[in-house]
Amino acid sequence: MDGDGFIQVQDLTKVYSLGSVEVVALRNATLSVDRGQFVGVTGTSGSGKSTLMNLLGGLDTPSSGSIRVDGRRISDLSKAELALFRRHTVGMIFQSFNLVASYSALENVAFPLLFAGVAKKERARRAAELLNLVDLGARLNHRPTELSGGEQQRVAIARALANQPQILLADEPTGNLDSKTSEQIVRLLANLRAERRLTIVMISHEEALLREFADRMVYLQDGAVVSQEVVRDGP
Amino acid sequence: MRTSDYIEQAWTNLWKKKLRTFLTTGGVVIGIGALVCMFAFGQGVQRNIRDQFDEMDLLNYINVSPRHGRQPEPAEFDPDAPETYSDAVPAGEPNKPVTVLDDKFIDGLMQMEGVEAAFPEMRFPAQVGLGKEDRFTFIQVVTAKACRSGLIQLRAGQPYASDDPNEMMISDSLLRRLGNTKPETAVGQKVEIRTIILDFSLASLMRMAFARGDQRLPISDQRYTFTIVGVIERMGFGGPMPIRSDACIPPGAAGRMRKLVLTGVSDLFQPAEQMAGYSTVTVRVASPSQVATVEAKLEERGLRTFALMDQLEEMQKGFIIVDMFLLAVGMIGVTVASLGIVNTMVMSILERYREIGVMKAVGATDGDVQRIFLFESGMIGLLGGAFGLALAWVVSFVINQVVNGFTAREGVPFIQYFSFPWWLCLGGIGFSVLVSLIAGIYPTRRAAHVDPVVALRHD
Repeated sequence: MDGDGFIQVQDLTKVYSLGSVEVVALRNATLSVDRGQFVGVTGTSGSGKSTLMNLLGGLDTPSSGSIRVDGRRISDLSKAELALFRRHTVGMIFQSFNLVASYSALENVAFPLLFAGVAKKERARRAAELLNLVDLGARLNHRPTELSGGEQQRVAIARALANQPQILLADEPTGNLDSKTSEQIVRLLANLRAERRLTIVMISHEEALLREFADRMVYLQDGAVVSQEVVRDGP
Repeated sequence: MRTSDYIEQAWTNLWKKKLRTFLTTGGVVIGIGALVCMFAFGQGVQRNIRDQFDEMDLLNYINVSPRHGRQPEPAEFDPDAPETYSDAVPAGEPNKPVTVLDDKFIDGLMQMEGVEAAFPEMRFPAQVGLGKEDRFTFIQVVTAKACRSGLIQLRAGQPYASDDPNEMMISDSLLRRLGNTKPETAVGQKVEIRTIILDFSLASLMRMAFARGDQRLPISDQRYTFTIVGVIERMGFGGPMPIRSDACIPPGAAGRMRKLVLTGVSDLFQPAEQMAGYSTVTVRVASPSQVATVEAKLEERGLRTFALMDQLEEMQKGFIIVDMFLLAVGMIGVTVASLGIVNTMVMSILERYREIGVMKAVGATDGDVQRIFLFESGMIGLLGGAFGLALAWVVSFVINQVVNGFTAREGVPFIQYFSFPWWLCLGGIGFSVLVSLIAGIYPTRRAAHVDPVVALRHD
């Protein structure tokens, strides 16, 4: 495959120990994602999609194999270095939104900026700007419980963009949404990719929806990458 | 993360759980309040004693007395043998003549460098009667000059003008025991002083010979009339204070009285030479720093000295023991409060488990997470310490008012039983923060090591 190999996953394996039983969640996965690409990852439940996402996001470390992002081997980073990687390089969105219930939309979006040492006023300014970007400029002070599922996911997207990451990892972002809202969310991601030259890796059960927006599809089964398909030339 | 953000986060998170924060902080408030209160009481006692010493100039005095001859030392060390006295003349040193503490000796003392004044101490037992009441006491012979030296504070009247008249000064406490609670009315009143004397008259010997069962001594009494000229405000309490009796009369009047000068049975064992002079002379030096020098000079002359300055170090050791005891009692409350903090922090971390996962997903390091919770723990300590200090102050104020309310009826002046020096206030708050931080170490370490993958899946 031609490309810049912005993200390179090589023979990635993750084994979990559950007591005396070892469960192989990901087995020798190898794939490459170019800068600015939108890659859709799909597969059945238990195929290793979320494990792959956690490893790419630096939330977890592999049992073997390697992940390189922009030439840097992140699978060998220390815990503190991984935290900085998550802070500055990747933004993550989840199926269950993972917003802090007691925070307003503005505070949720400003949350990552807190750890980056950004001053309070600047945090508020940037968070408001991002919420405007996802069409939630009128809901800054609403708490997650006062927002619909689609709105909550848009807050989560704004939060993921707070530290201007290069990569956006989306783990089943439409899993809790109706089909219309799901399409709106994925369209928003696709637009942001174009506007901000983001590299997006999105996991979803909804293959059809993914194929509508993704440049490339990766199929997982039983922890292994069984096939990859270029859907369209991109970015 | 900025320090101001940690503080704001801690405050915001504690404020969200007002009831729990209030209850946990309440535990710290009570614990620190009790601890500070105990310490403040210990400090108050120490301050009152020091103030009394300062007020009475007690640290400027040295009691001088002659050595009691020579003590024999055992030939070999015998653990069962009684201890030798510290004032014994060392073995092998020839017996020096016993120095007689007479007026000539006192004149010599006055010439010594650093000595401001020297007063002989002469006391004798007597019965003092005012109206229908009479009380036993020791009467002290004090020169008019000593009375005018500012050592005595008068509540009413004035010191006697010379060493001769049958005039006396009486303490307000003795006056109260004699039924007079208004010192100003006592001045000018007549007092009967009854002394005891050895009576070897035939009548006395006959009474003794025919006494049945009673081991009567050949003793009778003499009565003298004195006029009260002054009422002394407060008496010393047995330290090397020149005035430590409830009644003072001038030496001229004392000389005219027949009396038995015995302050205790031990006086009967005094060497004959020493009976010739005063049993004790009190020396006042210009400043406490000169006590050691003057003491050394006097001891070189074979005299025994006692100064309260020497006892200060021992007293300070005693104060430390008292402080340690109070600290131990106060720590019980603080320990219970710290367990409350551990419980609160563990609960808080369990409730915010998923939030910790979010923190890590958006780039928080383990250190960031630990510090966020440590600041919360420290803030509980800060609030608890500050309000605990306030509680201690309020409790001490109430105790002071109640106790002084009772003692005021007995004529005791107002006493602050508690002392809050600045280091105790700051130390109390600092200690509270420190204990809270220590209590927070275990739960916050747990928070720091939360696996973000597990936490983000947590419901």
